[in-house]
Amino acid sequence: MRLEKCWFCSSTVYPGHGIQFVRNDAKIFRFCRSKCHKNFKMKRNPRKVKWTKAYRRVHGKDMTQDATFEFERKRNRPERYDRHVAEETLKAIKKIDKVRVDREARHYAKRMKGKKAQVQKEAANELEQSIHMVKAPAALQKEPSLTLPKVYQKQTEDRMVE
Amino acid sequence: MVQYNFKKITVVPTGKDFIDIILSRTQRQTPTVVHKGYAISRIRQFYMRKVKYTQQNFHDKLSTIIEEFPRLDDIHPFYGDLLHVLYNKDHYKLALGQINTARNLIGKIAKDYVKLLKYGDSLYRCKSLKVAALGRMCTVIKRVGPSLAYLEQIRQHMARLPSIDPNTRTILICGYPNVGKSSFINKITRADVDVQPYAFTTKSLFVGHTDYKYLRYQVIDTPGILDRPFEDRNIIEMCSITALAHLRASVLFFLDISGSCGYSVAQQAALFHSIKSLFMNKPLIIVCNKTDLQALEGISEDDMKLVMEMKAEAMKTLIGQGGEPTNDEGVLLTMSTLTEEGVIAVKNAACERLLDQRVELKMKSKKLNDCLNRFHVAMPKPRDQKERPPCIPEAVLEAKAKKAEQAAEKQKKLERDLENENGGAGVYSASLRKHYILANDEWKEDIMPEILDGHNVYDFVDPDILQRLEELEREEGMHQEHEADDFEMDGAELTPEEQEALAEIRKKKRLIVQQHRIKKSTAESRPTVPRKFDKDKQFTSERMGRQLSTLGLDPTLAINRARSKSRGRKRERSIDKGNQNGTDDMDVDGDQPNKKLRLRSRSLSRSRSRSKSRPPYEVLPGEGLKDSAQKKKAIKLAEKSHNKRNKDARKGEADRVIPTLRPKHLFSGKRSTGKTDRR
Repeated sequence: MRLEKCWFCSSTVYPGHGIQFVRNDAKIFRFCRSKCHKNFKMKRNPRKVKWTKAYRRVHGKDMTQDATFEFERKRNRPERYDRHVAEETLKAIKKIDKVRVDREARHYAKRMKGKKAQVQKEAANELEQSIHMVKAPAALQKEPSLTLPKVYQKQTEDRMVE
Repeated sequence: MVQYNFKKITVVPTGKDFIDIILSRTQRQTPTVVHKGYAISRIRQFYMRKVKYTQQNFHDKLSTIIEEFPRLDDIHPFYGDLLHVLYNKDHYKLALGQINTARNLIGKIAKDYVKLLKYGDSLYRCKSLKVAALGRMCTVIKRVGPSLAYLEQIRQHMARLPSIDPNTRTILICGYPNVGKSSFINKITRADVDVQPYAFTTKSLFVGHTDYKYLRYQVIDTPGILDRPFEDRNIIEMCSITALAHLRASVLFFLDISGSCGYSVAQQAALFHSIKSLFMNKPLIIVCNKTDLQALEGISEDDMKLVMEMKAEAMKTLIGQGGEPTNDEGVLLTMSTLTEEGVIAVKNAACERLLDQRVELKMKSKKLNDCLNRFHVAMPKPRDQKERPPCIPEAVLEAKAKKAEQAAEKQKKLERDLENENGGAGVYSASLRKHYILANDEWKEDIMPEILDGHNVYDFVDPDILQRLEELEREEGMHQEHEADDFEMDGAELTPEEQEALAEIRKKKRLIVQQHRIKKSTAESRPTVPRKFDKDKQFTSERMGRQLSTLGLDPTLAINRARSKSRGRKRERSIDKGNQNGTDDMDVDGDQPNKKLRLRSRSLSRSRSRSKSRPPYEVLPGEGLKDSAQKKKAIKLAEKSHNKRNKDARKGEADRVIPTLRPKHLFSGKRSTGKTDRR
């Protein structure tokens, strides 16, 4: 029993899920669900379909080369069972996972580094340029701050109050 | 050439047939239509093709003939000689040579005529060239006709030659005619050779097969040989001489001691001595046949002497081979094919002798020597006849016996027994892990998970995983330190009021976009109603006032201005009646429409003053309404029902138009199924 990777979106295919397609040249394509299968039949290139891992890797959204990926490699030679090795492996898997997740988070942070400043700059710009939509230029002259103006109340009321 | 299979040679057609075949094929397989109106190159190509095609076919067929007939030098000398004896080597070679020349000639003819055709300038000329070419080729073949016929004859005869393998174990039977050779071969093999009282019943070689000691032997029956000088021999005798000369076989010389073949023992002995040179290196056995008519012991002294001489000769061959000189039983044998006594003995003797000789030869050959040189079995020579069996002590014998007993008792417990004990096939499942070879036997029943957290565990198994993990963690530690160093500077953040303003701005923008989209999508299906027919009362001055005040402005001036400029129905009329001369300050739209209305109302009110006009809510007698109040209400209801719709520019009752009252497709035509009384 093995967990395979979907050819289209690179998510794991658990046993009992998905479809496998074997081409005439004996290449096997595994799909996790019919969405990927249908996209494949439409001859779409996963590198151009936004939500796939292939796209994300190619466009630098997810990290591509890392030492943590080297640990998980399909080895075709079976090893003789050794309890200690098995124990170590199981513990190691967890640690490797943690490291990988941390690294991915770091990658994301690096990617998003300048975002906050840029967003703020854009907001400030927009506010300055479009303030006329909520505050008449006359009111802006009187009160030059970029905030909502005071809603004009009728003078008669004031006078009546007075 | 194939060793002994001449049956696969293709049929050689006669000259005439040959020509017919090729010409008809040319006619069928090449295009047939050509007109004199075609381009000259096309005509030339047409005829050249025919010539070339014919030449190619001739070439192919003649080549197959030449290749398939065996070359006498390439085959086994036995067959070479046999074919020479039967067909005359020279004649055979000549015939094939003629065929070869014919082939070359045809090639040349074709080449020449193709060259000429290249310069043919009319259809007629090209055609005659082609006719000439084909004609010449056919003449060549006609000339070669006799050779073809001869080769066909040879082919037929060759196909019927017996398939003799010159290299395998063979027994050759020879002797005078009518001594009983064919009857012998009929007895020991399944061959069915003609046996008749006249001489030369057997005219060619016959092959039969027999078995001895799990090996197959060929037995070759030859035609009888007469005692004549070599040059006088006829073809049939030459066959047997050839066989004797070339085949490595054991020879059975048949002797008719009764003389019923028509030749005396002396004559047969004379024959023997004349051909004994052919028996060189072959195991020879002299067989005295027809002992039922005359026993060997009972022949005359002279004949006995002759027989003994022959035997001596035969013995010489025996000694010459290196066999034991003491054994002389296999040299002279008696038998009778009629009563079948001694036949098997003869056969066995012949086979045995041949086998010995072949084994000897093989032993002497190189290959066997290599093997034999590697080991040497030393057998001690027995010095006397005393028996010396191996000496095993008693204790050992007892122990062996006991062990045998135990083994018989305690048979290995099979898995099958185990299964039967534990409940049978469906209940018990064999534990395959029992025989695992692991470092520690306790681990045999361990279950290792295959999947963990969405990973295949087997992909991670690695002898130096720990070490690599350590490196990884170290790296990670370093990275984390560096990470602690850099952090982001917060830029200038907006104050909450500013954020409020920004949110408002964005909301407004979104609204505008949304409304535009609605307008755009409905513009295609619905007519755009101008703003003045604003049924939802969107564009009121109050609303404008509210909007302006939210923008921070004082709206009163704007509202007043708007109100004064707007045209209410009542205001229009009042203006009309009041100001007939000039325009008001408030009139923005200009003079003309006012003037029009003014003029119209004036004309209406003045020209048709009281004679036709009626007060609006006056109830007329036939209308069916109670009083003017009711009529007013009725009118109001009617107006209400259509005003909104009209202002929306939607289709009303009066707008219903039927473009065609009776469209043809609804009122005519047949139906594929069903009646047409419902239309």
